[in-house]
Order: sequence, then structure tokens, then C-alpha cells
Amino acid sequence: MPDRGLDEQLELARTVVGFALEGGADAAEATYTVGDRFSTEARAAQIEKLEQSTARNVTLRVFRGGAKASLVTSDLSAESLRDFARETVEAARFVAGDAYAGLPEPAGDAPPGDELGLYADDVRARPAEDKLADALALERVARAVDSRIVNSSGSRVSDETVALALVNSHGFAGAYRTSQANIGTGPIAEAGGAKYAASYGSASRAYASLESVERVALTAAKRAVGLIGARKPPTMRCPVIFERDVASLVLGDLFAAVSAANVATGNSFLADKVGERIGSALATIVDDGRRPGGLGTSPFDAEGVATRRTVVFERGVLRTFLYDSYYGRRLGAASTGNAAGGGIGPNNFYLEPGPDSLQALIAATPRGVLILDTIGFSTESVTGTYSRGARGYLIEGGEVAHALDEFTIAGSLPEMLAGIDRVASDLVFDQPIVGPSFRVAEMTVSGT
Amino acid sequence: MQPDSATFERVLTRALGAADYADAFYERRIVRSFRFQEGCVHDAGIRLTTGVGVRVISGERSGYAYSDDPSERALLETARVAALIARDPAARAGAVHLPAFPDSPPPFYLAAEPGRLRAESATYADLLARADVAARAFDPRIRTVNVFATDELQDVTIATSDGRFVRDRRPLVTFGVQCVAQGTERGTGFAGDGRRSSIDFFLERTPEAIALEAARIACVNCDAIETPAGEFEVVVGAGSGGVLLHEAVGHGLEGDFNQHGTSLYSGRIGERVASDLVTIYDDGDLPGERGSVTVDDEGTPGQHKTLVERGVLRGYMHDRHSAAAMGGVSTGSGRRQSYRVMPQPRMCNTFMPDGESTYDEIVGSVKRGIFAGSFAGGQVEISKGDFVFMLAEGYLIEDGKLTAPLRGASLIGNGPEVMNRVTMVGNDGRFAGRYYTCGKGGQYVPVGVGMPTVKLSSVTVGGSGVA
Repeated sequence: MPDRGLDEQLELARTVVGFALEGGADAAEATYTVGDRFSTEARAAQIEKLEQSTARNVTLRVFRGGAKASLVTSDLSAESLRDFARETVEAARFVAGDAYAGLPEPAGDAPPGDELGLYADDVRARPAEDKLADALALERVARAVDSRIVNSSGSRVSDETVALALVNSHGFAGAYRTSQANIGTGPIAEAGGAKYAASYGSASRAYASLESVERVALTAAKRAVGLIGARKPPTMRCPVIFERDVASLVLGDLFAAVSAANVATGNSFLADKVGERIGSALATIVDDGRRPGGLGTSPFDAEGVATRRTVVFERGVLRTFLYDSYYGRRLGAASTGNAAGGGIGPNNFYLEPGPDSLQALIAATPRGVLILDTIGFSTESVTGTYSRGARGYLIEGGEVAHALDEFTIAGSLPEMLAGIDRVASDLVFDQPIVGPSFRVAEMTVSGT
Repeated sequence: MQPDSATFERVLTRALGAADYADAFYERRIVRSFRFQEGCVHDAGIRLTTGVGVRVISGERSGYAYSDDPSERALLETARVAALIARDPAARAGAVHLPAFPDSPPPFYLAAEPGRLRAESATYADLLARADVAARAFDPRIRTVNVFATDELQDVTIATSDGRFVRDRRPLVTFGVQCVAQGTERGTGFAGDGRRSSIDFFLERTPEAIALEAARIACVNCDAIETPAGEFEVVVGAGSGGVLLHEAVGHGLEGDFNQHGTSLYSGRIGERVASDLVTIYDDGDLPGERGSVTVDDEGTPGQHKTLVERGVLRGYMHDRHSAAAMGGVSTGSGRRQSYRVMPQPRMCNTFMPDGESTYDEIVGSVKRGIFAGSFAGGQVEISKGDFVFMLAEGYLIEDGKLTAPLRGASLIGNGPEVMNRVTMVGNDGRFAGRYYTCGKGGQYVPVGVGMPTVKLSSVTVGGSGVA
């Protein structure tokens, strides 16, 4: 069915490619993205924030004599687009020529995205009053769970529909629409003069497939109350269970090390390790751009290459890195459809789930810690060093003993991959990088 | 084209209706960036961000909308949507009046010309190459050198329903070098700097100096041992140690958290929150510093604020909204990432003035502990107040001397508990000489931090070495 909005976006992207070629580029690629965004935030019994706008962006990549330069702009007047397209070609003069730079090889028509579950009508169709009512309900339900929940950092309902058009001078033209809905809440419990904040949320392509408002509020409230009385653990070596939200963060750290851009530039501890056993037999890690309804799903990547399913670690053995067309050419591999925003990004990058519940992982742990969230970050994809601030629970005799905070967990990403000895079944594709809960046999917990 | 006074008046009149307050924020920002890797300029990029955001405040409620299209028709529609939050968006309270031309206060930064910015690509290419050469010449173990530079010019015009009409032109340059060295182990090092200035800043703060710092740290880290785990005496190095102030105290004093009572510092003005050696300022008015603002993103002048004085909590940092809600005035702390988001109370340049101890006295007083020389960054959980800061260069202290270098690790503590454990403050205060960007609610803004050398009597160190 023709989609007039997308056709107009394709037309503007074509025009921008034309400006770049007129300005002296050998090849060019442009996108035009239109995002309709809605968000609201409630606190106690009142809606405190309401935001609604349309964001438009044009991006352009130009190639000239093997040199590349790029543009991102929110000024869509024809005059500005023409001027800045020329300036971008001009900027490429200061960039060194590179035999590998360029557009991907032409591969025929844009792959269709109809069966990928990218867009749900209910995101635009749901009345604003219902979204506001959901935000208020998140507040109400969370505060009703326990008398010690006396405050919150707010409850949010937000959504976005995005229409993207991509055109390049090799004849590629493709466009698609996506939608996303998010709900979440951040209750705060108070006890003994301390405040314990927790949060929980749900995200999906459709409002209809979100977790219910009641369940989100209840989960968040239980987390906040569960932290009351948290204290530091003793410093020790012990098993560490990563609950699924934190498991996703660990996989995010790992993603940097399998990105071919980091591998090629000496910034990955996994360089030269393809074919080697890095993880335990439970570590099967996949990037799948075609998983229906996934928040990392798309028909084609940021340079128009069809997405696919790539097994990165198979039962612990590193099989491949993730490539865009540039690093694929440099390292002698095909693009895996992971081009994103001028670099390499995830599609749906996930650890394959196992057979057990999170409860079973806890029950199988005589003494250890369960991590509910971490704070801090590092960019140590070079060495794999891992150290984070954490909150969670002490496990004793296969049961949760008490809450823990103000401690750290440390190790290294390769040791953690090798140490995965249990994986839960609780995987949810609510962001591009996700993991089910898993246990690492031994890490360093630093507390008192 | 940016809207003129009469257009802003009509847009704000529609936005205000019967609400308490409305404002409009016009922005045009051009960022040029260059990336150097594997011995040559690898990438050049231009980012142009321009549009207008309209905000309406009605009591505790705020509505927001923005438009990439600065035409009056588009802005009137934006004002209508922003006003939906008001209890009776159709009500009229009278027209907004603005001066014919925006006020343009003298900036805390050097004037930068957009034409000049455009002409400087060749100069940047040269600066990047100089850093690469210097880093590689430092030591044969240096294997990888990545260098990048950005040059930004942001023009803003702010109009408010109470008649403020002001503009500001903000330059910002940054330069960063990342090195990987291969010895028996791999080591990484990062150094960078930046200011609200023109590219001329890098005539005094040379690419070579920044590159040598990154290369030196990478080589040191090749020989790093496992950082120990457990509670230790920690000496926090001058300069980037200011990350401690930013995380342990600063965020918790931002007005929005205190307006809502979600910070552990809420309701504690006048109480002791740190040892009496601790005084903390946040300054928006330091010439050229990365976090400085001539006016903030609501048009309020950048200013000097005392947050903590001799251990006693003195004040919060407010934007107009949190100030109004708490019966105070804005401290020039209303900042935002772009016209696409509402301002929030944010820090500018956060630092601690000098104490009386020397560096040698402080390090010399530690029998066995950790010297945390510089930090890659930090993060805090506002309500309980637990924060981490991430070690970029650290050493063991044994018998009052720095010994083995340590692998990167997080240090964790609770804000007031750790600040009460400040037992010595050095006389060697300085700004970080490294650039930091602060993230809050998905918005990133440039900030500055600084501190003298400080001793903490006990902090949990998150290494993987267990004695």
C-alpha cells in the first residue's frame, strides 16, 4: 500500500543525496527520520509533565576519493540542506583516503519489513487521557503496596512512532515505520531515616503487549521495600547472580568487544580470538535483526544492508564479530547488518535463555549475591576489566537473606563469560541488548 | 532565521494563557568533529541542531513542545500543545511584552566567530596529527592512538513571559587522546581537555601535552596489578578528584530532587553533612571554564554558589521551576541539552577550595591505602546517596609512598558518610584539566570539577584482589 508520508521522506532524502553529488561527492547516502513523541509523568495524584513534539532529522554520509564525512541536521530548509551538503563534501577534503570506505555493494530492492512486527496502531490510536490515567495509576498502585512507600521519582508513560527513509546513490531506497511504548515507575520507600529508591518499567512495540500497569507498579514497589535495611556484605569471593535487567547491562559491555570497529582498531580484548572457547557451554549469544516485535528489529541497517541472525558465541566459542560494510571489507568479512549511526550497533543482541526460573538459580546457590542494579560504567572493552557499584541481596542456604547496598562486584568480562554456570528462562526483548538472569560461578564482592 | 521580538511575544502570549509562566528557547548549534585513528584523519562530521522549545508552567505542572521549524505558524501550534498541561489552556491572562531587541550580557568566554569555526578544519587536522606523533614517540609499547576534537558554537535566544529577552553565544572546544599500550599486559590511558574558548586554547594546552599524558597512563597501566577489594584509606588526587564532589554531594543538591523530597539532602539546609574541613562551591561564572554560562538556558546569569561551608549544608542549585516551588530564586542552574528538552537544575563548575595540608603530608600519613589519582567518571543514586567513581589512574600507598599501579576499579561510598570521613585537605587545588560531561535524565551537558588532594579515612574499593 503506498504510504504518502514515507514517499515524501524518500523524496527529500533523494534530494539531499543529489545536493551531495552536485557538491562533488562520488557517492552519498541520506536518511530522513520523523519521530512523533509523547511523554507524561505523574507524581502522587497529579500529572506534572506533558511533552509532545515531532522531531525531524536528516543525516548524510558523503564519500570523495575514499574519504568520508557526515552530517546530522535538524534544519530542513532546502537552502540549508544544500549549503551543509556542500560543506560536508568540503570537510571530506581533510580526511585521509581509505580503500575500504564507501557504500555497501548494491543488493537489489530494499527488504520488506511487513512480517517483523515493527509498528502497532495502538501507539498513535491510544487516547492521551488513557496514557495520563496509566501514569496516575502507576503512582497509585505502587504507593498502595506498602505504607513505607511515601514518595516517588515519578511514573512515566511515553511513546514514539518513527518513520525512516534511506536513500543512497547506488540506487538503494527503503523506508519503514516503527512504534514503541514505555511505562515505568520509581517508588521510594523510607525507613529509619533512609530513602530506598527502585524502579521498574516495561517497553514494547505496542501498548497491548506491555506488562500491565499493576504488575509494573507492584514489581517496582516490592523492589523498593525489599531494599529497606540494606547493608554492606563482607568482602568475599562468591557466586554472583545477575537479575535480567543487570544481565542486559553486562551484555552491553560485552557488545563493545564484539564490535568490529573496536576489534580493528585495537580496542577489543577479543581481537584474534575467533574460533576460541571464551565462554562456558551455556554462553550462546546471538544478534538477530529479524526477531518479530523486537525493539532492535529492522528490515535493514543504517546503510541499507538487510538485517540477519548472527550467532556470535556458540556454546562459548567466539564465532564472529559484528560488522558494518566498512569494517567487513577491512577485515575480510561480510556485513552482518549492524551499521548504526555512523558506527556499529546492536540489533537484538541477547544471551540464549536457559531452562530455570530466577528462583531456581537462587535455590541452587548456597552462599552468594543477587544483583538487582549496578551503578558506574567503564570503557574497558580493551582489557575486559569489570568493576561496578551494586545493590541486591545476600543469598544464604539457597534463600534470600537480606538486602545489600554500597558494595562492588569485580572481575573481568572473559572470566565472567567463562564462569556462567546457570542461565534462567526470563528473557524479554524490551530493549536492543537483553539477557536472561544468569549466574557467574565466582566473582569478587567488595564491601566491609 | 530566528524569531524576532514580536513573534516571541505572540508565541508566549498564546503559551501563557492563564498559567504562571511560559518561556521560549531558540537554539542554533553547529558542532564540527574530527576523528584521527591509525595515523590519519579518519572521519569528519558536522552536526547542526536548530529549533525552538516552548515551556508552560502552572504550579507543579509543566508542559513542553518544540519545533524544528522556526516559522510563526509552527511556533503558535507548538505553544498551543505546550499549554495543554495548564488547567484551562484557553484562558487568557493578558499579553506578554518583550524589549524590541534581546539583551546581550558580556560573556564569560572569548567571542567566537562562526566564519572562523568554518575555516579551521585544516588547523584541527594538524593538531590531531601532532597528538598522534607525540603519543607514539613516547614509548614503543604504544600500539593504538585515537584522537578526536570537537569545535562547537551555540547561539541561544531566551524569551520569558515575565519580559526577559536575552541572547548568548557559547563556544566550546574539546580535545581527547586515547592510547593502548602493550607490555606484559595491556594498558589504556585517556587524557583530554576543553574550554569555552576558541581553538586558540590548544596553543597553550598543546596536543603534545595531552597526548603524553594519555601515553604515560597507558604505559603505567601495562604494569598495573589487581586493585584490592575491601575498605581502605584513600587519597583522592587533586583536579579530577572533584568528580567526588559532583557525585557525593552536587547531584543531591539539585533543586528538582529537593523540591520533590527525593534526595537524601532534602530538608537538611543548615545541618552538618560533611567534616568541617569540607567547603564546596559551584560556579557558573568562571571565565572560560567548561561548565560556565554567561546566562543559563532560562536566561539567568551564571553565578557563584556556596553549597557546603565548613561541613554545613548551605544551599541548593535551582532553575526557575524548582526555585518557585521552594520559595527561592534561580541560582542560574537551569541547563538543557538542546531545545528538544526542558531545562533541569544542573551543576556548572563544582570545586573545593584549598585546605592546609601539603600533598606530601597527606600521602605520607597513609600506612597502607589507595591513591586515586584520576577518575574516568562517576554516578550516584540520589535517594540513598550511594555513589561510585571510576579509577583511571591509581596506585597502592605503602608506608607513605606510592608503589604499584592499580588496574581500573570502581570506588563506592555514601555521600554524607564519605564526606564526613574527609580528614585532610591539601593546598594544591586545581581544576581537572580533563573534560567531563554530566548526564541526568538522558540530558548531557558540559561541566567542570576541581579539588585539592583529599584524604578519606575509609572507602570501599571495588577491585578483584582479595587478600
